[in-house]
Amino acid sequence: MISAFGIVNSSNGRYHVEGLEDYRPIGAFSFLGRYRVIDFPVSNLSNSDIDRIQVYVSQNPRSLAEHLSYGQHYNINAKRGKLQLLFNQDSRVNPIYNTDIRAYHDNLDVIRRMQQDYVVITAGNWIFTENFQELLETHVASGADVTLLYHKSSTADRHYRNSNILELNRQKGVKSIKPNDLTQANRNVFMDTYVMSKNRFIDLIEKAVAKSSIYNLTDILNAENDELDIRGVQHKGSYVASIYDVKSYFDANMNLLDYDVAAGLVNAKWPIYTQTTDASPVHYFKGAEVTNSMIANGCIIRGTVENSIIGRGVTIGKGAVVKHCMVLSHSVIGDGVHIENQIVDKWAQVLHVKELSATEEDPGYVRREDVL
Amino acid sequence: MVNNEMLAMILAGGRGSRLKDLTNKVAKPAISFGGKYRIVDFPLSNCANSGVNTVGVLTQYEPVLLNSYVAGGRNWGLDTRNGGVYVLPPREKAESGLNVYRGTADAITQNIDFIDQYDPEYLLVLSGDHIYKMNYAKMLAFHKENKADATIAVIGVPMKEASRFGIMNTDGNGHIVEFEEKPEHPKSNLASMGIYIFSWKVLRRLLIADKTNAESSHDFGKDIIPTLLGDGRRLMAYEFKGYWKDVGTIDSLWQANMDLLDEKSALNLDDDHWKIYTEDATEIPQFIGPDASIDEAYITQGCHVEGAVRRSVVFTGANVGPEAQVCDSVLMPGSQIGRGAKVIRCLVANNVRIAPGATVGSAGSESITLVAHDVKEAE
Repeated sequence: MISAFGIVNSSNGRYHVEGLEDYRPIGAFSFLGRYRVIDFPVSNLSNSDIDRIQVYVSQNPRSLAEHLSYGQHYNINAKRGKLQLLFNQDSRVNPIYNTDIRAYHDNLDVIRRMQQDYVVITAGNWIFTENFQELLETHVASGADVTLLYHKSSTADRHYRNSNILELNRQKGVKSIKPNDLTQANRNVFMDTYVMSKNRFIDLIEKAVAKSSIYNLTDILNAENDELDIRGVQHKGSYVASIYDVKSYFDANMNLLDYDVAAGLVNAKWPIYTQTTDASPVHYFKGAEVTNSMIANGCIIRGTVENSIIGRGVTIGKGAVVKHCMVLSHSVIGDGVHIENQIVDKWAQVLHVKELSATEEDPGYVRREDVL
Repeated sequence: MVNNEMLAMILAGGRGSRLKDLTNKVAKPAISFGGKYRIVDFPLSNCANSGVNTVGVLTQYEPVLLNSYVAGGRNWGLDTRNGGVYVLPPREKAESGLNVYRGTADAITQNIDFIDQYDPEYLLVLSGDHIYKMNYAKMLAFHKENKADATIAVIGVPMKEASRFGIMNTDGNGHIVEFEEKPEHPKSNLASMGIYIFSWKVLRRLLIADKTNAESSHDFGKDIIPTLLGDGRRLMAYEFKGYWKDVGTIDSLWQANMDLLDEKSALNLDDDHWKIYTEDATEIPQFIGPDASIDEAYITQGCHVEGAVRRSVVFTGANVGPEAQVCDSVLMPGSQIGRGAKVIRCLVANNVRIAPGATVGSAGSESITLVAHDVKEAE
């Protein structure tokens, strides 16, 4: 086993999800009814025997701090392991200063004190499963200075806006890291996941800070590319999704409304841990009609639910019709209300508006705690 | 809470042999209930919710699963600095070798040293096989108000069923004047729920005397309560109003599960003020397939339903195949109902597989069919 600590970066300013992100960082978004997005990177680290985990947060830390707590639900040894929340103050002056390097530099003393030889840095806005222990072995065996994980995509002209792509040579050496300009379908999309030694990481942070106060980790890697052996490793998992806007969030969830795909992503061999709420099982009453949907515990269902993902503790009233929606925890869809292609945020109540409809391409959004 | 004024001991050693094959390998308190719970979650959650922080669990029959399940107490938030859940199976002793628990009272007697460590004022004795939600703090307040030596929780049962229970006869003020075990001609309908609060000093003395009494069967109902009455001790009946069920048979276990479908049932497991805690499953949320139909059901996380489920309770990780029909049934964790199979008025045990096209149970059956073994092919 290779000793490494993990970093989950959730303070990346490149992505923005309208509405939902006003309340919490992407990592704290509800996923598949019962998870949070960040459960995926943290469980990946934990399942890979990496039990020292740092999560970087800047904006609206409350929901993440609440959810992660001290990490006991992630199967981390309570003495040897530790899940740490590290905070950094975002600049109010100009968002260009809010780089990942700035977050790491603000906490450099903590990083220096880590006893592990290597670091795995992964992102709080991606959904995939990956054995990082295998990735570490590949990294060490290759002799590379830095290893970057990528997804071979054939839809990069439509998806992964604001993601970076990797230009690779035949030996999987990284020629450059650059923003996806959506011009080509076949791209190696960088999954914002890095492996390197701890010393290399500290060196890169210091070099980046010396060079420019608006450098990100990818910028300093590009700048140092001539000096460093940077390689790409292709991700092999069956399901990859990046959450960078409302539509990608909606799709990342909805594409899992196929039992085999969902069970391929989350299963007993690679469990995804999350916080339990001790909700009771779902109670379906007479008149309920439910098809092709995923329903989290604690729900009360009296109406019709089709092709939808229903979060914990949701109430669907009599005669209500919910089609192709994501209804997040504790929301209420009142009697006789019809909704289609909506994301209903937590604790919202749709009671008085009897019809709410949008298209699959441009799903609607009901704000947290709103009463409609 | 800094001190342990009241310590709880849960009697969880019984087999529950009327549950037949369900308890071949696990003790009754570890039996699954209500989709995601185990029976023992009820007394343990009641303790947690009542502020009783230290709980001993007395296990004996097939304790492996039960021991590992309750150990530590984290599932119920009882893993606090001063509290905890402690598994207490029979042990080998220097003076007498290995002593099994000879009765409910003997199980406590053999753990007097454990209880003394905490020096509690009161001892709460619970049964590990009942389904109910109860605030033991209120019962303790009643015990104190009445300056009782022992308080026994009772529930009113229909008079015609009273002869199946241990019946407490009281005077007008709630003092117990007589206890009758399964009386042929009951004088009252107040049945003992097997929930006792004792002033520990009083009980401790009695248990030590009972230990060497050759006449005694070392049982709370048969020996300890009658002795207390005989000694003229102050015994109070604490009347509980609410849902309480001893799930001792396949039919009653099935019925208690079915009660969850009733909106008006007093056993509401969706109550934020009195949650029932249990182990945390890591499965994905339940998936209801494109051609499924669900009508009146209680279904939990990790289930996968492609067929039809009507008036049924479906437990963690159970799977209902396409075109299968499950009606008036309880599907225990991990059970697999094959394509086109019919399951009617059944209780399907953990991990049992029912082959495609098979039919089990029938609509008109007098009692519930227990399906404890795989059903290989259509009959």
